Amino acid sequence: MAAADPAMTADHGPASGTPVRRKEDARLLTGRGRFVSDLALPRMRHVAFVRSPVAHGRITGVDTAEALEVEGVSAVFTGEHPAIGPVAMRAQSALPGYVETDQPPLARGKVRFAGEAVAAVVATDRYVAEDGAEAVVVDYEPLPPTVCAWAEPAHPVHDEAPDNLLLSRTFRAGDVDAALADAHVVVDRELTTNRHGGNPVECRAGVARYEAADRKLTFWSGTQVPWIVRTQLAELLDLPEGNIRVIAPDVGGGFGVKAVLYPEDVALCLMAMAMPGTALKWVEDRVEHLLAATHARDHRYVLRAGFAADGELLAVKADVWCNAGAYSVHPWTAGIEPLMAGGLLTGPYKLADYECTVRGVATNTSPSGPYRGVARPSTVFAMEALMDSGARALGMDPIALRRRNLILPADVPYRMPSRLVDDSGAYEACLDRAVATFDLHRWRGEQVRRRRDGGRPLGIGVGIYNELTGLGRAASAGPRMAFRTGHDACTVRINPDGAVTVFSGVTSQGQGLETTMAQVVADALGVDYGDVEVRIGDTDQSLWGFGAFSSRQAVIGGGAAHLAGEHVRGKALALAAALKEAPVEELDLRGGQVYMAGQAKPIISLAEVAKVAYLQSDRLPEGFEPGLEGTKFYDPIRGAFAAGAQIAALEFDPATGEIGILDWVCVEDAGRIVHPVIVDGQIAGSIAQGIGGAMYEHLVYDDAGNLSTGTLLDYLMPTAGEIPELRIGHVSTPAANPTGVRGVGEGGTLAPNAVVAGALADALGVEIDDLPVTPARVWELVHP
Amino acid sequence: MKITVTVNGERHRLDVEPRRTLVDALRDDLGLTGTHVGCEHGVCGACTVLVDGEPVRACLMLAVQADGASVATVEGLAGDDGTLHPLQEAFSRCHGLQCGACTPGMLMTAVHLLDTDPDPGRETIRAEMSGNICRCTGYTGIVDAVAEAARRRVTSETS
Repeated sequence: MAAADPAMTADHGPASGTPVRRKEDARLLTGRGRFVSDLALPRMRHVAFVRSPVAHGRITGVDTAEALEVEGVSAVFTGEHPAIGPVAMRAQSALPGYVETDQPPLARGKVRFAGEAVAAVVATDRYVAEDGAEAVVVDYEPLPPTVCAWAEPAHPVHDEAPDNLLLSRTFRAGDVDAALADAHVVVDRELTTNRHGGNPVECRAGVARYEAADRKLTFWSGTQVPWIVRTQLAELLDLPEGNIRVIAPDVGGGFGVKAVLYPEDVALCLMAMAMPGTALKWVEDRVEHLLAATHARDHRYVLRAGFAADGELLAVKADVWCNAGAYSVHPWTAGIEPLMAGGLLTGPYKLADYECTVRGVATNTSPSGPYRGVARPSTVFAMEALMDSGARALGMDPIALRRRNLILPADVPYRMPSRLVDDSGAYEACLDRAVATFDLHRWRGEQVRRRRDGGRPLGIGVGIYNELTGLGRAASAGPRMAFRTGHDACTVRINPDGAVTVFSGVTSQGQGLETTMAQVVADALGVDYGDVEVRIGDTDQSLWGFGAFSSRQAVIGGGAAHLAGEHVRGKALALAAALKEAPVEELDLRGGQVYMAGQAKPIISLAEVAKVAYLQSDRLPEGFEPGLEGTKFYDPIRGAFAAGAQIAALEFDPATGEIGILDWVCVEDAGRIVHPVIVDGQIAGSIAQGIGGAMYEHLVYDDAGNLSTGTLLDYLMPTAGEIPELRIGHVSTPAANPTGVRGVGEGGTLAPNAVVAGALADALGVEIDDLPVTPARVWELVHP
Repeated sequence: MKITVTVNGERHRLDVEPRRTLVDALRDDLGLTGTHVGCEHGVCGACTVLVDGEPVRACLMLAVQADGASVATVEGLAGDDGTLHPLQEAFSRCHGLQCGACTPGMLMTAVHLLDTDPDPGRETIRAEMSGNICRCTGYTGIVDAVAEAARRRVTSETS
C-alpha cells in the first residue's frame, strides 16, 4: 500500500500523539464506504417486518394468505412458524432477585410494545416486501398497557414478574440514616430524566445467508459486538460457533444502540436458515428505529442528601426507577441502567454513608438498552442537583461545595461507596482548568450586570463526572452475566514484503479505530504508520474482541495491539540478530529497518527478515519457525477512570423561552492521547449528544403506549445551528495500562443534563426537576 | 416508466416504477451507494444530492421526477485520478467525519454552499448546514472543514 503523508513519517517519529490521516477517510469521503446497507449479493431478497400497532395485547390471529398472493413475495414468517417458534432469547444473569424472561424473535401469543415485530415478509425488493407486510392481517385483543415505570402496573408485561419488577438491588455503605441525623442540612430532590435514544445516521441493518450443505451462516451486521453476536447466535441457532461468521464492515454510528442482539437479527438468521442459499437483507428505516431500537434514560430519582456545616457531603439516600421497557435487553439484561445508576451515582464525590435502591421495571414500551454514557447522564444530573441544593441550603458557592467533596489525587485509589475503585483523582485539575478557560469571574460579572441593568437572564451550569472506562475482569460490564468482558485480542502479522497487517478484535462505528490501532502497532513494532493496515469487525479474520461499549476499546484493544506489536518486534529482532550474527540486545527496529546500536545505517530491513521468514526457509537459522506473526490478549483487570468537568453560560429569553448557549467549556483527563483530533472529536460528539438529550430529544409515549414522537419531525436532534462552538481542554494523566490511555467515548455525554438544568436554575433561581429543558419549560417557569 | 438521467456526467436509461425514490434508483439500480439513506422523510439530509445544481433530498424525490435531469453525487467529487475535491480534503484534515454516514450529504450541501457563497462565515456555515444531521462529530469538525475549504479557495483565487 502507499505510504502515508511523508511529512508525518519521514523522521520515523512515533505515530501516537500525532494527528495522522485517518485510514478510514479515503473510502468514506468518496462514497466508497462498505456499509451493510450498501451490500448487494446475487439473488438477494429483502425483508420487511410487520409491527404491532398496539402496546399490549393478545394475538388472536395472523392471516398471511393475502400477503403470500402479492407478486414478488416469497415467504411470510410469524412467531409460530416452525423455523421461528422453538427459539426464545433470554438475557441471563445470576444476580440475586433478577427475573429472567423470554423474548421471542417474532411475537408469540402476545405483543408487549407498539412496534414489536409480529411477522416478516420476504420479497424481491423492499417495496414489494412492504406491500406484503401491509397485506398481513393480525388480530389483537388489547390488554391494559403500563407506560410509566413508577406507576401502578396495569397488567403484568411478563407473567414471571407480576409486579413488573425485573430487577431490584440496594447498594449500601455505612449508616445512611445516622449520617443524615447528624447532618447540618438535609436536602431532598425528586427528578425525572427524559427517554431518548442513539439514533445513528445509519439505522440497524443485516444480511444473512445460510449454506445448508456445510451448515455455515454468514451474518453481515451493523453491530458493535460481532463476537458477542456470534456466541449468542451459536446458542440460539444451535450451530457450531465456528460455522458462524459475523461481519461488521463500515457501521454508520452506534452509540450503544448497536451493542444489542435484537430479535430482528435472530429472526433474519432463522429465516435465512429456512431459505438456504438465499441472502436475506433487512435495513431498518427511521420510523422502525424510533419505535423498536433500544431507548434509554427514562428514569426517576428520589434523593435525600445530608451536608455538614462546612459543606462536607455526609450521606446520600436514593430510590431509583429505570424504565426497562418490554424486554430485558439482550444480552445485557434489564440491569444495565439501574445497576450503573446505583454503582456510579456518587460520581467524583467522596462519600462514606450511602444507600441506593435501584429498580429495572418492565413496561409496554420499547426495551431500554445501552446508550452512550449508560444511566450516568441521569445520575450526574441527580448528583449535581443535590450539590446545587446543598449549596443553596448552606449559602455556599456551588463550585466551592463541589470542590470540598471531590476525590483528590491523594485519595486514590479511592473505594467508592459502591465498592468500585477510582484510580483518577483528576477531577479538581479538570475543574480548575475548565473554570479558568471559561473565565468564570467574567461570566459572573456579566450575570450581575444583567440582573442590575436588565437583559436576558443568564445562568452558569457545571457538571463534574467520572467515566469508568476499559473495564477489566474485576469490574466487568454486566455483573453476573455468563461472560466477562475484560479482554480483547490482537494479531500482528508481518507479510512477506515487510508490510504489516493487524487483525484486531475492536470494532468501529466512527471512532477511527483502524487508525488508532495502526498508530499503536506502528510504534510498538517499529514501522511507519503508512505500512500498517488494520482489519477489524470480522469474526473469521481476528481472534477475539468483545466490541464497542463502556469506552473500552482504546484501553483494551489498544493494549492488546501494543502487546502484540512488541511481541512480534521481539520475534523480528531475534531473527534479524541470528541472520546478521549480531547481539539481539543491541538491535533496534525503527521505520521498518533494523539498526545496530551506535550505527547510523541499518543492518537489515524488516522486509528482508520477513522474506526469509516466509519464502527462504533455507536461510532460516536453527531454532526458528517460518512466519512472522503473533497474537496477544490484554485485560486491564480493573479499568481506568476518566475524569471530566464541563461549565457553560446559557441565556434564556423570557418572552419566548428561547435558550442560547453563550459558551461551553469541557476539560477531560483522557490519559495519554493516541490521536488528538480523534479524541477531541469523540468529546465534541458526545457533548453534542448530551446537549441533544438535555434540550431536544424526547421519546414520548401517550397513556395508551403509542409513541407520539415517531419521526424526526417530532424527535428533534441538534444540528450545526444548535450546537455551540465547544472549547475542549485536557489534563493528561497516563493510566496504568500499556498505552496509558483512558476511554473517551462517553464522558462528554455525562454533564450536559446537569449543565443545562443547572444554568437554568442559576438564571431564574428555581429548581429544575424534569428534563428536557425546552423553551416551553423555560416559558412555564418564567410565567408560573 | 423509462427515464434518462445523467449522473456525474454519465447518461443512464432506467426503467423504474413510478413510486421508486431517486435515492433507491441511485443506490440500487445504478450501484452508487455513496449516497446514504438516513430517515426517508426528508429531515436528516444524508441523501442530499444536486439535481441540476440544486440540493435535493433524494429520498423525497421520485426517480421519474429526475427524468432528463443531471444529478451530482459524492462519487463524482474526486478526480478521475483519485485526487480528492478540496472539500473532501478539508473534511479529512479537520476531522469533519467519523462514521461517514452523514458525510456524502454534508459534502454535497457544502459544495452547493460554496458555489453560491464562496466566503461564508462560521455562522452562515452553521445555518446553511443545519439541514443535515450528524450524530458523531458535534459539528465542530464539519464547520472547520467548510470554513477551511472556503478559505483555501478564496486564497488560491486571489493569489
